[in-house]
Amino acid sequence: MALVAVDGLSFSYPSAPPALRDVSLAFEPGEVVALLGPSGSGKTTLLRALAGLVPHFHGGRFAGRVVVAGLDTRRVRPAELAGTVATVFQDPEDQVVMTIVANEVAFGLENLGVAPHEIWPRVERALESVDALHLWGRRTIELSGGELQRVCLASALALEPQLLLLDEPTSQLDPEAAELFLAAVERLGATVVLSEHRVARALELATRVVFVDGGRLLLDASRAEAVEWLSAERPLYTNPSVTAPHVPAGAVIAALRGVSYAYRAAMPVLEGVDLELRRGEIVALEGPNGSGKTTLARIAAGLVEPQAGAVELWGRAGYLSQDPGRYLVKETVLAEVALAVNGDQQRAGSALARVGLGWAATRHPRDLSSGERERLALAAVAVAEPDLLVLDEPTRGLDPERKVALGEWLQEYAAEGRAVLVATHDQHLPAHRRIGLRVETQAPAGARVAV
Amino acid sequence: MSPGAAALLLAAAGTAALLADRIWTVAALTVMLLGVCLRAPSGRRRVYLFGALSTGLGVLVLSPFLWSSPDGTLLWEGPTIPVLGPLDVTTTELIAAALNALRLTALGLAFAAYALLLDHDRLVAAAGVARRSALAVALATRLVPSLERDAVGLAESVRGRGVRLEGARGYATLLSPLVAGSLERATSLAEAMEARGFGRPGGTRAPRPPWSVRDRLALPLAALLILVAALWL
Repeated sequence: MALVAVDGLSFSYPSAPPALRDVSLAFEPGEVVALLGPSGSGKTTLLRALAGLVPHFHGGRFAGRVVVAGLDTRRVRPAELAGTVATVFQDPEDQVVMTIVANEVAFGLENLGVAPHEIWPRVERALESVDALHLWGRRTIELSGGELQRVCLASALALEPQLLLLDEPTSQLDPEAAELFLAAVERLGATVVLSEHRVARALELATRVVFVDGGRLLLDASRAEAVEWLSAERPLYTNPSVTAPHVPAGAVIAALRGVSYAYRAAMPVLEGVDLELRRGEIVALEGPNGSGKTTLARIAAGLVEPQAGAVELWGRAGYLSQDPGRYLVKETVLAEVALAVNGDQQRAGSALARVGLGWAATRHPRDLSSGERERLALAAVAVAEPDLLVLDEPTRGLDPERKVALGEWLQEYAAEGRAVLVATHDQHLPAHRRIGLRVETQAPAGARVAV
Repeated sequence: MSPGAAALLLAAAGTAALLADRIWTVAALTVMLLGVCLRAPSGRRRVYLFGALSTGLGVLVLSPFLWSSPDGTLLWEGPTIPVLGPLDVTTTELIAAALNALRLTALGLAFAAYALLLDHDRLVAAAGVARRSALAVALATRLVPSLERDAVGLAESVRGRGVRLEGARGYATLLSPLVAGSLERATSLAEAMEARGFGRPGGTRAPRPPWSVRDRLALPLAALLILVAALWL
């Protein structure tokens, strides 16, 4: 008997077009399903429906039937489905309830009524499985995005669910941490539905692939069949690389000399970093979580003063942070973008059209999906055409087609005589130079040094 | 000391500051609470201390103009303002303002110590039947550092677009998106809590260390502090 049966599911959020249209599926126990599709295609809504959050938590028009482990989600509240189903949501910061990591992982177990003597051993096993046991007593508010994401997965794994729903669970992890994360998922033995924009990794893990677009189910097939279908129908999902053409080096636009920075005394994040950025080039900053990419990007953009060393900038710099929610300060999408150009709506309109959001000009920024917010944030920064554009994890939440479009856009931007510095985990993003940052193990505890 | 006992003592210190009438007693309680708050990491305590001390200072400065007393020595006589009446400052008004300012500061510092130094999770766990309310209070407490972080992020994103935020009015424009962002986060958190079984009947509690003798002593000590403040201080 199927663990999950979805029959003719259609759903619309209030005052919105249908997010899901007549979707029918069945998942067997132990299957690992890669849920693919463009941004805003209905993947998150489908996961919410499987967790019972649609229609109970999100009002709207619901038609059809979803049955999980014999429970009809229309008749059972999500809290009652918890334990049978566990969900890891997109943004780890929005799902943390407790102050201390161990208590956070124990929270779900306490709610489910697990025997008290079993709670701490299960918390320990769950944290260990995602290599996060060392975080046990840490405050959740002090963790990095990647660490928090692992804690959220541990919280879900601790419940030992029959169905694990993962909504872009590795978006803030470096490749190594993402591998570890997905390996832990694989070991679980539960049915897993994984919505993931890093398609290659999802395909490696999946036994089955589901592709949705515009709320419709376009593909439900085995991995082999899916790879064939994707190669023919959506080639960028299997080959998302864009190579940056060689460009002659232009004049230096920014120079960092011997830059050091520490958030706490004796714990340097950056030590003696030299970096030169030239017009016409895209430079990628790579490295594991906590290696100082964001700090270096903020210093290059002039938002943070280094504690030692010097930064010289010949021109204006613009900075795009990794949280698109920080770019929602105005009442309309157009006004949001126009903020950086003294309200020039014509320039704002062109910038919006360039990122494919021309249709959303009069919408409220908070009505946009997470992928759309990413693009809005990019338009809001790039509209002023800064000489140095600094981007922090710009591909987070973008589907492969949007990532390739972003890569092409960055190349055009740099080719116009500007420089682009990108802090990224995405090795497919085109760059003329890639600079690796690493955690220095020889230095005092926690010290990070650029190479 | 367990967080429950510590919370009890902090609440008692705050209550005693409100009940005591002698300015030096309230000042001593305020200094003691300030000393407790200074045990928190400097980066985290900054916003709480600023909030507590600036509120007290505000009361000290404004209160003599808003409350008038005919007693004491007249220190300054100002113009007569419609509705408010004559503006003047007397020693009695100043002493009353200082007392109220210290009371408010002590209360603010007691909250700061609670927010900065206590393990709220254990408080929630110790709350027993009132667990839901305790969790709501713990989440509300965490709102302060979250808001601070969001505010810094919003201001940085605006600066990253080449827009300068100038003066209080410039930063005030970020207030509305800050509140909207908090509401959005609250909705997401509620969704995540429901998905993790919150509100389901039959919950259990992970075992926690029992109260020590020192923790048990905190209960009569807190009661005594309030009683002494109400009757003799």
